[in-house]
Amino acid sequence: MLWYKAWLETRSRFLTCAATLTLFSGIFVHHAQGLLRPEWKSDFNRLLFINQQFLVIMWVLSVVLLGMGGIIREQAIGTSSLTLALPVSRRRLLGVRIGTGVLEAFVLALVPWVAVFFVSSLGRRPVSITQVASYVLLLVGGGLVYFALAILVSSLVSGEYTAPALAFGIVLLAAILFDAGLRQLNVWRLVTGDFSIDRTTYLLSAHLPWLGILSSLSAAALMLLASTIVLQRRDF
Amino acid sequence: MTNEPVILTHALTKSYGAAEAVRGLNLSVGRNRITAFLGRNGAGKSTSIKMLLGMIRPTAGSGTVLGKQVTNPDENRDLRKRIAYVAEDKPLYGYMTVEQTIRFASAFYTDWRRDLEKSLLRDYDLPLQRKVKTLSKGMRTKLALLLAFARRPDLLILDEPSEGLDPVGIEHLLQALVAQSAEGVSVFFSSHQIAEVERIADDVCIIEKGRLVVDASLDQLRQFYRRIDLVFPSSVAQREFDIAGVERIQTSGNEMSVFASKNAEGVIQRAQELKAISVEVAPVGLREIFLETVKEN
Amino acid sequence: MFFKLTPTTGQPLYVQLMQQIRHAAETGALHDGDQLPGIRTLAEELVVSPNTVAKAYSELEHEGLLALRHGSGAFVCVKRRTRSLADQVQVARHRIRDLIEGLRDDGLFDEEIHRAFEAELLYPAQVLRKR
Repeated sequence: MLWYKAWLETRSRFLTCAATLTLFSGIFVHHAQGLLRPEWKSDFNRLLFINQQFLVIMWVLSVVLLGMGGIIREQAIGTSSLTLALPVSRRRLLGVRIGTGVLEAFVLALVPWVAVFFVSSLGRRPVSITQVASYVLLLVGGGLVYFALAILVSSLVSGEYTAPALAFGIVLLAAILFDAGLRQLNVWRLVTGDFSIDRTTYLLSAHLPWLGILSSLSAAALMLLASTIVLQRRDF
Repeated sequence: MTNEPVILTHALTKSYGAAEAVRGLNLSVGRNRITAFLGRNGAGKSTSIKMLLGMIRPTAGSGTVLGKQVTNPDENRDLRKRIAYVAEDKPLYGYMTVEQTIRFASAFYTDWRRDLEKSLLRDYDLPLQRKVKTLSKGMRTKLALLLAFARRPDLLILDEPSEGLDPVGIEHLLQALVAQSAEGVSVFFSSHQIAEVERIADDVCIIEKGRLVVDASLDQLRQFYRRIDLVFPSSVAQREFDIAGVERIQTSGNEMSVFASKNAEGVIQRAQELKAISVEVAPVGLREIFLETVKEN
Repeated sequence: MFFKLTPTTGQPLYVQLMQQIRHAAETGALHDGDQLPGIRTLAEELVVSPNTVAKAYSELEHEGLLALRHGSGAFVCVKRRTRSLADQVQVARHRIRDLIEGLRDDGLFDEEIHRAFEAELLYPAQVLRKR
């Protein structure tokens, strides 16, 4: 039943974001591909790459929003006494929230690209499944760290607007600072495919940045662990 | 069935910096009894209850509920399976409908009773498909109480249950508590409604400034607490009545009013020795016991 | 059966209930063999703790006025001993009535008489009387 509750809580956010991302990707690719001549293969691939740039912005925004809520927010609105009285551990409460968010994040990455796949197939510009899969993988593998960041922030800050604002602020700050100093470690560039794109064919390389993805997922895991510890120790 | 207390705490303490919300609480709540937990606002009632339920970590001390350690998260989760708790603000999820709320809550407890759920829904007349956030305050209170009363837990903990209820609602609440108790549920509730407490409680615990100041059965309180009004031929010093049971003395000229928690006979005897002109003994209601006790501290 | 328990009179509720049941038996409102409501039923009706009813029933069973049969309820046994007790109470009430009339004639108000009785009752028995 905790999954049901988490679904009810994130349902409208999730569906709105899913619709937005999917509609955007579908319409963008459909419209733009109509402007290209059939023989401009690399231009078409570049179109997909540009789609990913937009998608990353919207996807990161979405997963940060999906990561909001939780027990700390419930304390502010007054329902934490109900949730914490349930015979479930705080670890499990957080775990279900994380699980729901991860599944939703995955769907949010997959569905827009599936839409693109269909749109381009209909427009007789078939996209290789490998490319689609790679874009999705970069998004989820590299990008879950943003979701984890949102979970951590929402475990520390209870404000309805301050929590997401803080999370977005950190995302932005991280992107800027890493770009200025440690460009190679900028997760944003990893997720958009910047590190894996061939600038002539605009195809994603077959060799994905697994090390980068692994590091990003590790950072995500650490943040989720920190969230668990924070919640275990907190008084309500 | 054993006779060990359902709630037993030992020097339970919670400090926030220099301020002590609860200090050295030694609570012992009897099984199969209705125990009332009285105290002023901010005296430490809710904090104590939350420590028992694992929501707040004690600074010091320990406690067991239904035999399980409250400070151990796993044991606390186990004990919560057999407890029904309604917090003071009667929390509910606004985005769920009445039906969804009931389906949600019932999934967590093996002691849920569908028959009680159905009869309570009928009695309270709650609209199943309405979202909780659209319900009136009275209906929300009833739904929050239903989540506890549609079960047969080992222990029922209620924080100010009658708050938000009209007199008819309060009567139903008291009947529900009596029905639960008759079925073997131990009831522990905090309340400001002294009249209601006097009717149904077996035992009373009064907490003031984080400390337990009264812990007795209502029968004992009724039997032993007395107010003795005395008139003497000339004014008498208060220290003449420094005897067992005397809690508070007020003097006004030749008159003296003694508030005693026991040993009223001793007070009368001393009054007679001091040649009192008039000796009047009156019983003391719970309200007066409460007010006198918290004043004293 | 109409019982009325008052929480503020300084008497434990179970004692009040016991007195009212005894009174009913003495005055004939309850006959030998009559069944009293079950503990739960009476508790819910009076809106008092079931422990109060249980204690009253249990004490009366000790005294011999009630017989508790597990599952069936509480049955009244008006024995000869109880009857003579009822007679004694009747006589006592006459004596008290006369005393109260006398005190009223002396100018005391009922409240004062009540408190004087309370005070005197708190004295330990001057002489050990056999029952």
